[in-house]
Amino acid sequence: MVEKVKKIGYFDSSHDLPEEIIMAAGFVPEKILGNVNSASDLADQYLFKTFCPYSRSVLNEALKDPKRWEGFIIAHGCDATNRQFDIWKYHVETPFLYFFYKPLKTDKLAKKFLRRMIELLIETLKKKFNVEITDEKLRKAIEISNTIKRLLRELASLRAEKNIKNSEYFNVLKRALTEDKSLLIAEFTNILNEWKNRTPFTNDKKRVLLTGSDVNYVEFFELLDSCGLRVVRDDLSIGERYFNNEIPLNKESDPIDAIIEYHLSIPRPSTKHPSDPRLDYLLKCLKQTKIDGVIVQNLKFCEPYAFDSVWITNSLKSSNIKVINIERDYSGSFDQQLKNRLEAFKEMI
Amino acid sequence: MNKSKKNLKDEKRIYVRELKTTKYLKKLMFNYFIKAQIFSRIPWKYTAWTTSAFPIEFLWAYDIYPLHPENSATASGARKASLNLIEYAESLGFSRDLCSYFKTNIGAFDKKINFTIGGINKPDFCCTTGVICDTHVKWIQTQARRMNVPLFIFDIPHEVAGTDEKTRELYVDYIVEQIYEWQDFIYDLTGRKFSEKKFYSVLYKSDRLCELWQEIYSYRKLKPSPLGFNDTFAQIFPLVLLPGIDAGIKYYEKVLAEVKKLAAEKKGVIPNEEYRILFEGIPFWHKLKFLYDLANLNAVVVYEPYTYAFGPRKPLGLSVEESIRAFARLWLQQPYYYNLDNRIPYFEKVIEEYKIDGVILHNNMSCRPNSTGLIDLKNAIQRDMGIPVLIINSDMNDPRQYADEIMRNRYESFIELIKQNKKK
Repeated sequence: MVEKVKKIGYFDSSHDLPEEIIMAAGFVPEKILGNVNSASDLADQYLFKTFCPYSRSVLNEALKDPKRWEGFIIAHGCDATNRQFDIWKYHVETPFLYFFYKPLKTDKLAKKFLRRMIELLIETLKKKFNVEITDEKLRKAIEISNTIKRLLRELASLRAEKNIKNSEYFNVLKRALTEDKSLLIAEFTNILNEWKNRTPFTNDKKRVLLTGSDVNYVEFFELLDSCGLRVVRDDLSIGERYFNNEIPLNKESDPIDAIIEYHLSIPRPSTKHPSDPRLDYLLKCLKQTKIDGVIVQNLKFCEPYAFDSVWITNSLKSSNIKVINIERDYSGSFDQQLKNRLEAFKEMI
Repeated sequence: MNKSKKNLKDEKRIYVRELKTTKYLKKLMFNYFIKAQIFSRIPWKYTAWTTSAFPIEFLWAYDIYPLHPENSATASGARKASLNLIEYAESLGFSRDLCSYFKTNIGAFDKKINFTIGGINKPDFCCTTGVICDTHVKWIQTQARRMNVPLFIFDIPHEVAGTDEKTRELYVDYIVEQIYEWQDFIYDLTGRKFSEKKFYSVLYKSDRLCELWQEIYSYRKLKPSPLGFNDTFAQIFPLVLLPGIDAGIKYYEKVLAEVKKLAAEKKGVIPNEEYRILFEGIPFWHKLKFLYDLANLNAVVVYEPYTYAFGPRKPLGLSVEESIRAFARLWLQQPYYYNLDNRIPYFEKVIEEYKIDGVILHNNMSCRPNSTGLIDLKNAIQRDMGIPVLIINSDMNDPRQYADEIMRNRYESFIELIKQNKKK
């Protein structure tokens, strides 16, 4: 008999939860991605439609079928995570709901504080689920995570060389964030071999760098595919932010220290301070990879990225980089106007 | 004819009394803004931009003059100048969905408008915290970058519903460590060292200001209320900018004396106070006459968590270390950003104490954090307190989000509901 996979669902607004702690506790961490093709009626009983539609969709999924998960963790990233936590507490029927505060900053005090938060999370999981979270288990989880990140990095690097659709790239990433990582290694290795044998990148496509709000659904990538735009680099949380760095673990290092080091050095989202390293990462991508243009996109009501989009766009434009700035609704179908703009952008670059 | 059914447009407006001491407030504000103009130009004086929920005492303790872009934005809103400034910011690419205070500030700063309509000078540095919202952090990050000035951000962890004492203590530890870091930041920037004497003086004066505010506020429990929202939205100015210095204290003593006198004479804000309202959220600065629309229906707003929130009592009689720790603890939870576990009982207690007949909750397009949880709050109040609750969608500084006629209709229906409810 196959043992049922026990999952802890999590909601974060970037890459904020140390998944390896959950893995070491014997659970599969699943980033809840919401459902762009389903109305968020259940969540809309408690949240106005003028709030982040992605966060409403995540809450909707949790309200719809909470028993799919053993419990939930909300990791702080933006206002939606902490302010909506209370709504989850009042309405999502679950035996376990936990708030993980990941610091806003990355300095030495933040580092010390993050350790305390991770230790508290470990202590809470141990007590709640009667599990052991040992250094050995943490090391094992980190090794699995690093292997996945390494594979994702290799897969992602092929985007600029081979004929790989945006949607294919996204679907692989989605699996890494929602399924049992230990079972994905063999499969991702096969995909990597298959992608290596693909036909080369064709010149009818334009190479773009995708930045801005996190994209949680494949339909947006399909839209870009249909416009002849190929995402060859990005700095998204369901993207390079998730796999650009590995957790720096060696024989001597403490696994928690390694996790802290990792989380404070990953490509910076707009939800953290300072956000200037975000631009540095984009400029590095532009140096490393041949890119025709940059898409700065913002999900409706996603404020942290909306603030930064003006600065990011202007900074890139001042370096003579072709940039398009778009706002998108949380929807699986796109209006012709957006498609026209993207097609025009392709022509322009 | 029933007054609550009168057409507000056609009726003669009810007289809404304002405090006579307000004339001193105008003087106080003018002096503050003049000094802000002068200090911004004197090399040995330091000025800093800051935001709500940042303890202004941390600036006064170093004789750093606080400039408050949110407060200046309210002036733009009240003087009907905000729309042009917001549209200017949007023309730069800032989204229509972003905070209207922020966009007002972008316009006000870039266009160098006069301080009387919300203009603000470049500071020596900026400081803020994300305890209320991401917006404060992103706004100040954005402007510090544009103005090329140093920036200090306090990372205040969020105390969500159900946070236990152990977690809270860890949060407090983290805040305390940052307060010491802040002292280093100020020293590096200004050469000024932390002075225990100055700190205690500021703390004592801040507490005295808040003590007076709470006493003034308590008179609103009376029927009729001698103080309305039309008074408090302006009267919070000393709490926002002057906690820790004498000017605000002297002013509040005058206000208290007047309020006591009005209470003794049983003189209310409006001639015929029938319905007592609690208003949650930031008011529509561009449409402050909404209070007069309510007054015409014999309704007066007698409590606002927003104006009350600026005046928490301060920890006194403690060592410096203990005071800083108590301050850090205080910072975690305030009425404007209470989690639901605290927010619901807080509202219910106020409804009881202030004899509230109905609650208006402002779903503010420019303050999503404060607007989160309003539906649960509404349901809890209706269930537990049995009074009507109205949620209105609008914006604090963007007049495009307010439609006069629709709002008036809503107020009329709401007051009618209250009236029916009171008959039960």
